[in-house]
Amino acid sequence: MDKNQEKEYLLSLARSLMFDFPGEEADWIVKEFETIRKQLAVLDEVDTEGVEEATWPFEDETTYMRKDEVTDVLTQEEALMNAKETLAGHIVIPRVVK
Amino acid sequence: MIKEIRENREAAAEVCRKAYADTQALQPKLNAVITFIDPEEQLASLPAEGLLRGVPVAVKDNCCTKGILTTAGSAILRDFVPPYDSTIVENLKKEGAVMICKTSMDELAMGGANTTAFTGPVHNPWDENRIPGGSSGGSVALVAAGAVPMAIGSDTGDSIRKPAAWCGVIGVKPTYGLISRYGCVPYASSLDTLGVITRSVEDACIALQAVAGRDSRDMTSADVEIPDYLANLNSDMHGKKLAVLGNVMDGLLNDNVRKVFNGIVEKLKERGAQVDVVYFDQKIMRAVLPAYYAIANAEASSNNADLDGMRFGVREPGETTEDIMMNTRTKNFNKMIRRRFTIGAFALDGENQEKILGKAKKVRRLICREINGCLEEYDAILAPTDGDIAPRFDDPGADPLSDYNLVTGGHLDLENFNGSPSMSVPMGFDQGCPLGISISAKPFDEITMFNVAKAVEEITGLKGLTAEVK
Repeated sequence: MDKNQEKEYLLSLARSLMFDFPGEEADWIVKEFETIRKQLAVLDEVDTEGVEEATWPFEDETTYMRKDEVTDVLTQEEALMNAKETLAGHIVIPRVVK
Repeated sequence: MIKEIRENREAAAEVCRKAYADTQALQPKLNAVITFIDPEEQLASLPAEGLLRGVPVAVKDNCCTKGILTTAGSAILRDFVPPYDSTIVENLKKEGAVMICKTSMDELAMGGANTTAFTGPVHNPWDENRIPGGSSGGSVALVAAGAVPMAIGSDTGDSIRKPAAWCGVIGVKPTYGLISRYGCVPYASSLDTLGVITRSVEDACIALQAVAGRDSRDMTSADVEIPDYLANLNSDMHGKKLAVLGNVMDGLLNDNVRKVFNGIVEKLKERGAQVDVVYFDQKIMRAVLPAYYAIANAEASSNNADLDGMRFGVREPGETTEDIMMNTRTKNFNKMIRRRFTIGAFALDGENQEKILGKAKKVRRLICREINGCLEEYDAILAPTDGDIAPRFDDPGADPLSDYNLVTGGHLDLENFNGSPSMSVPMGFDQGCPLGISISAKPFDEITMFNVAKAVEEITGLKGLTAEVK
């Protein structure tokens, strides 16, 4: 992958996460990934044939069914306190459907 | 120190007011605080009893505090006031602690230098030209400077322990799940661990007992009894089997670090411990940091998808919903944080999900086998917390593919992967700046970890070490 392709690829990844690398930052992230790709390639030096993936430190069950009781209730005022705009007890958000 | 403050009930208000004033006085030098909290209201409603009654505490700004700004060091959350307390804050209040500030941290806890907070860098109390380490740099700096006896931090890769070493304090990352993460702004959920920072092992015992415990609101909260760590503290090393991590020692470039560390090992032997040098598979050790990059950043890119100006965070203007999100996230995430999210997206992209993230998770299992196997034979694992003193702000950093960077600098991730308790204890100095020793034990065996730490503290005589901020 040449540098322009790499730049387009990385910018597409960034945009899939809803942000950009504007201006000179685009060249900077390409440069950063030269090292990041080499570091991630170190993983390939380890033989993992037949090894299962591990996602958590422990595999013991720590969640249980509980009684259907109301807990940790927020008041309406608390629930709306960080909303940018409210109307009649609802959160107003920017229009999504045109 | 915590015990003395708790027992001198008349002096509690004075102690907390002094801590509040000292913290404010240090702010121009350290820049360790994001939000100050006037202690008066809390002092007026202290519980009758509590492990931390009247003890001034600094809390990392990724722990939600009801009615008090909680930014996680990010510009995107600069106006977020939570309507609820995190469990760790609930526990602090229940035990009578008095919060005097929310501390600076690397943005969203993603960093090791404490240079990416939207409020600017934090300075090391021992040398203002050096970083404190991150991401819990604000909490660590305030404890090191003597402003507070205790602070809360979080550790996903080394974010309590490495700054603790670089600032000369005790930094404890307990067993994964021992402290509830409920109400803590997440970084990487399979690794995130809250912990405590103090200037003595005794204080660390009390602090951990106060904030640990089962919480059904955190799906990974451990269902275990929390012991009285202080009552169990015993520095007798007879019969203890300790392993020194040879891979870390071999990567050292600073001979003084080796000398100081080996001096402590000799003293532990004199106290009756059996100490052996052990080696993990070097290929696995070199892969620890790369596995961390893949796993932590993949989890982070997903965990923080809701910081978009719509669900959480400030909102930048835009014509469409997509524009609003793009503008908000581009403008309000530091480029270093966008870089980390991009690594996460890369590890999750198409076939990379198997080739990189899947591979990293398999390597994680092998890492766990190495460390768990060692801990079946040994009571604790020792190593220098880092290979050097705190870097200067303009330090270019080590060769990213060197053993020094990947193994000696990255070994603290081991205990995030397997969940073991791990702590850093001051072990000495180099060029006038502190060095730390890392002590790790079996999951849920904090007692053994604290006991070895107590022996080290007695050997070094550095209990209560405090930086004089110039």
